[in-house]
Amino acid sequence: MKLLIVEDQHKTGLYLRQGLTEAGFNTELVADGSTGQQLALSGDYALLILDVMLPGRDGWQILQAVRSAGLDTPVLFLTARDAVDDRVHGLELGADDYLVKPFAFSELLARVRSLLRRGSVAPQETSLHLADLRLDLIRRRVERSGQRIDLTAKEFALLEMLLRRQGEVLPKSLIASQVWDMNFDSDTNVIEVAIRRLRLKIDDEFPNKLIHTVRGMGYVLEERPT
Amino acid sequence: MRRLSLSSRLALLFAACTAVVSLFAGVLFSRASEAHFVELDQQLLDGKLIGVRRALQDLHSSTSETRLADELSRQADLSLRITGSDGQRRYESSTQLPQALPRQPGLFTVSHEGTAYRVLNAPLYPDQANSPQLTLLLDITHHQHFLQRMQRLIWLTVGLSALATALLGAWAARSGLRPLRRMSTIASGVSAQSLSSRLPEENMPPELAEMAHSFNAMLGRLDDSFQRLSAFSADIAHELRTPLSNLLTHTQVTLTRPRPIEDYREALHSNLEELQWMAQLVNDMLYLAKADHGLLVPTRQSLELAEEADLLLEFFAPLAEDTRVTLGREGHGRIEGDRSMLRRALSNLLDNALRFTPVDGQVRLRIAEQPKQLSIIVENSGEGISAQLLPRLFDRFYRADPARHEGSSEHAGLGLAITQSIVRAHGGQIRCESENGWTRFVIELPKGE
Repeated sequence: MKLLIVEDQHKTGLYLRQGLTEAGFNTELVADGSTGQQLALSGDYALLILDVMLPGRDGWQILQAVRSAGLDTPVLFLTARDAVDDRVHGLELGADDYLVKPFAFSELLARVRSLLRRGSVAPQETSLHLADLRLDLIRRRVERSGQRIDLTAKEFALLEMLLRRQGEVLPKSLIASQVWDMNFDSDTNVIEVAIRRLRLKIDDEFPNKLIHTVRGMGYVLEERPT
Repeated sequence: MRRLSLSSRLALLFAACTAVVSLFAGVLFSRASEAHFVELDQQLLDGKLIGVRRALQDLHSSTSETRLADELSRQADLSLRITGSDGQRRYESSTQLPQALPRQPGLFTVSHEGTAYRVLNAPLYPDQANSPQLTLLLDITHHQHFLQRMQRLIWLTVGLSALATALLGAWAARSGLRPLRRMSTIASGVSAQSLSSRLPEENMPPELAEMAHSFNAMLGRLDDSFQRLSAFSADIAHELRTPLSNLLTHTQVTLTRPRPIEDYREALHSNLEELQWMAQLVNDMLYLAKADHGLLVPTRQSLELAEEADLLLEFFAPLAEDTRVTLGREGHGRIEGDRSMLRRALSNLLDNALRFTPVDGQVRLRIAEQPKQLSIIVENSGEGISAQLLPRLFDRFYRADPARHEGSSEHAGLGLAITQSIVRAHGGQIRCESENGWTRFVIELPKGE
């Protein structure tokens, strides 16, 4: 799975490439728009990460070229600009997502994964599980070690998201957006509290904890060796 | 093309007005005196006509010639011509009389070789059909001279009075416009450093007092915004200084000597928290800056506020349950607005309310629909906010608790300012009231047509 980053800010580009490579993606980085467009048009990439302001051709021009060549490669825009017009313009041209600098890398990674997943049709699952935790999607029931756990609707949705994306670090903003449909910057600690309450039900009575806090980045559901 | 100055314009207008008025008066006067002269001449000639007719009662009498000469000699500037009914000249009292003269009866004015005459034609015997014609000529050159002199005088008066009023007008306009110049002097002296100067409103003429008042009000608003902006910039610097200095110190200290890997991890985590806090601050400030520049343009979609409120209350439920705070919603209403902006605005209010509600307290969101507007009220029980702090709540970086705690969970104090910007971008208003153990944020949004 190859990703293309077109970013002229040297450091930003290097860090993004490092981060994405370490997250398991085969990542290529170019710094100018013209080369970026050539590579993007080759169709070898599963995802394009484009800066808007680029030497040569800007991100929008690359996007237009890609779309008019009939390619539906997902495109994620990075920009320092935050005008609503820019956002609308990008989305009109067919961008799939949009991140405004400064953004958190965990946020970018989560969105990259969402975009890559979008294309593939997820198999219709009836249940999700990790270790001894089981979530029955049809009867909407949760069990751990065979023990029934009562969750509120939102706790269920939160756990479902964590289970579906197990092993991924999920930033708070993404959780707020996916579970509660709250898509705005907020410094509220609702998510922390919600996770803590979920932990109380899922993890507290069990020796091997499944919900982990990744400090400064978000939360991850995974089984860790004790 | 350069525009004329206001004083020159006024001076020219004054001059034009005076010229028109004095010209009109002059023409009227000269017409009147001319008419008066004609009348006088008419009377004189009518009197002479009677004398001449009497002298010529009998043409064949020997005395008639003497009587005629006698009659004519009494008036030196009077001449007589007698024309027969066949057109033949019978008599001329002077040889220099003009040849061609009107023949119809009546009074005429004729000019001949530099001499002006008033001419009266009348039959000698008014009751005879073929009566010889009498033509009395009165030399009126001195009248004409007088009239010409007067006309020259009129033109001179017009010119001089126009000039005089132009000069006086210019002076009057300049002194009349002095308050304006004072205004402009003060206006030109206004800069970021001297927004405090004001125009004296008391000794302004009434026409300018209103303008001076608006001008001062504008200066006041500028001063106020500028003060806020300066405070904001100072606050930004201050807010960023603490995390920056933490980052610098921590990073340098960490790098001074080799450490176990755990220490580096810890240092990076700590830095990350500071950085996230700074990123949040920068994003919030950009949002406010956009609002200040009028770039915060809400999309208008029809929103059922009760639904939105319930979603938000559901979002905040974990936080409320944690402190056993009861969350509730009353009322409903529909409005055209930006969903994500309004959610952000209300979420800031709810977050704020929950933070200041004591354990077992209450937070209520009430929606009230009126014909012209819609109110959204977020209220919480608990210790109120003192009245003098209420107006400052929406100031940027204002915090009820002045001591800032360490750590990324701390709020930058921009939440209420952002809420206010969003409400204003929707054309609404927000205020805060605190009484009887309830603190209440009231948003009033105008309803679209």
